[in-house]
Amino acid sequence: MQSTEVFEKVVKILTPYVKNQEALDNVGPETHILDDLKVNSARLVDVVLEFEDVFDIEIADDDVDNVETVQNAVVLIESKIG
Amino acid sequence: MTSAPSAELALRSRLHLAVQREITRLFAPVSFALIWIALRLVLGYRFERLAAVRREYCEIRSRSDAPLLVCANHLTLIDSFLITWALGSPLWFCLHFSAVPWNVPDQLNFAAKRWQKVIIYVLKCIPIRRGGRRSEVAGVLTRLAHLLRRGDSALIFPEGGRSRSARVEIASAATGVGRVIRSVPFCRVLCVYLRGERQQTYSQIPVRGERFYVAISEIEPKTDHGGLRGSRDLVQQVVRHLCEMEEEYFDGRQ
Repeated sequence: MQSTEVFEKVVKILTPYVKNQEALDNVGPETHILDDLKVNSARLVDVVLEFEDVFDIEIADDDVDNVETVQNAVVLIESKIG
Repeated sequence: MTSAPSAELALRSRLHLAVQREITRLFAPVSFALIWIALRLVLGYRFERLAAVRREYCEIRSRSDAPLLVCANHLTLIDSFLITWALGSPLWFCLHFSAVPWNVPDQLNFAAKRWQKVIIYVLKCIPIRRGGRRSEVAGVLTRLAHLLRRGDSALIFPEGGRSRSARVEIASAATGVGRVIRSVPFCRVLCVYLRGERQQTYSQIPVRGERFYVAISEIEPKTDHGGLRGSRDLVQQVVRHLCEMEEEYFDGRQ
């Protein structure tokens, strides 16, 4: 799977949880999920569980600690897909 | 598949905790006495079936050496003091110091100023920044897991904060609690349901002269899931059990 495809899927998964529409319209790899997109930190769990379902991967708790930007999420998913 | 890879705590952090534990123990007779005076004499709080609950906690602890994580519902800012008081007498806690649960109070409410930091340090607390960066929260959870593994008790509120609906909210279950359970082999959970008779909603401090209902129940949550899904499964089992305890409370009041 191409990085751009993973990126697009990540953004699609994030979309329902985003509270800052303007940041979503300009979303890029360095967009911060909590600070820019204003995704509630408690809902980040739901986001990550959707990553697991959509990409058929398992994400450890520790891995989630390092997910701050969209790019972090893409890199993590790619590392799990192999 | 309950167990998770457990992050080992750095030597420096382990030493800090060991020092804090001994300082806390040193101050325990004074701090327990002051808390008792404040809660019992100044605020006039009372508990239903206090002796029975303390006996039960003592039995649960002595039944097994497995780590014991205390998880409670959360309605007021001083719940952790009330729960600790309910679980044992000051004298018993002085003699069984590992039974005094470590607490993780919100940094904003309890550790914003230097004097507050000093007080909570000697009260066996590790402040946590609620809603803070996951890496910071994970650091506190790793310390809690370390303390549990070495035989101490710890108290944590699985809803993450005081319930705004005044009822246990399963949707608020914080996966961090599940993460602690997963990282501590054979971890038992002591569910505590605490509620003042006049507690209609969440608040800062219960009303003066309040009479509290408290119930405790031990569970050993298990999950077949790994990763974050496993953590969520575990914490949801805990919160569901607290929901059941809450139903029992309201059924008994009808």
